[in-house]
Amino acid sequence: MQNLDTERYARQLPLWGEAGQERLARAAVLVAGVGGLGATLSQILVRAGVGQLYLVDQGTVALSDLQRQSLYAECDLGRVKVEVARERLLAIDSSVTIEIDPGWIEDGFQAPGGIVAAVDCLDNFASRFALYRALPARCYFLHGGVEGGQGQLLTLLTGSSQPFEEICAGCRQPVGAIPVAPESVFVLAGLMAGELFRCLAGNPRLLDRFLVVDLAALTLSFLDV
Amino acid sequence: MLPSSSTSAEAFQVRVQIFGLLRLMLNGLESLEVRCAPGETVGSLLEKFQAALAQPVTHKLLTPEGELWVGTIILVNRRNVLHLEGLQTPIQAGDVVALFPPGAGG
Repeated sequence: MQNLDTERYARQLPLWGEAGQERLARAAVLVAGVGGLGATLSQILVRAGVGQLYLVDQGTVALSDLQRQSLYAECDLGRVKVEVARERLLAIDSSVTIEIDPGWIEDGFQAPGGIVAAVDCLDNFASRFALYRALPARCYFLHGGVEGGQGQLLTLLTGSSQPFEEICAGCRQPVGAIPVAPESVFVLAGLMAGELFRCLAGNPRLLDRFLVVDLAALTLSFLDV
Repeated sequence: MLPSSSTSAEAFQVRVQIFGLLRLMLNGLESLEVRCAPGETVGSLLEKFQAALAQPVTHKLLTPEGELWVGTIILVNRRNVLHLEGLQTPIQAGDVVALFPPGAGG
């Protein structure tokens, strides 16, 4: 990689070295959903130095988003989320390549070429299933979900893991808005970012394994799938 | 050696693991050993599970019509029972059953 910004990454280079930093810079990641989880997660990825992001979300910024969606502010109300997200992320690091898609993820969705991972920050299971089906072989799929003060992460590798639709067969959206504690999206997004970095290094810790986080009881549980 | 003759000799324990909001509803209960008999199925296991808890729980797992409810995944040895035989999925000694309503928001 040319022109490694050692000053920008001075606090993390001791953790994963120049080779690790270059690996992040070469990575292209699809962030599906830039709401609670996706807004914070995409921010972490940009700050860490992931070189290319694809952001997909059909939503516009609403007042009820501001308690947990960290890229948005009152001045953004009514604006298309992926457009605001791109502006804010480029303000953090203008060297990152960010492509946006203000559409739904549903059957027929085409995943961008060249991605090594897709992070599922979506808010409904139908889109999650469509996303998984759209991914190329040997692509990491990092699922995240939150509800109340709880949430879960799971890493799958397309072509070798059980398809996400089989694991979560039968799951449908609950009726009405899903309650979400603001702190839960920050904790879950942080955990997802760490897992993504491990995936990029070829060493996921949650492959075929749910990590279930309960912020009320302060417990972590594992469920193999 | 004569084979074991009583039903109790053939009975076995199955561990039911509980995750997510269901665990919260059950006051933090992480798992429960349920005594099973030959011919046990997921459906009959859930009835015993509820009886052992002495509190209603199947309304979070089944519809009023007795069908699997969509909010909770039920795994037997890592496989969703909807890809096995649903409530008729047989339960055998050594099986691990997990009940998990995943968080739906993002």
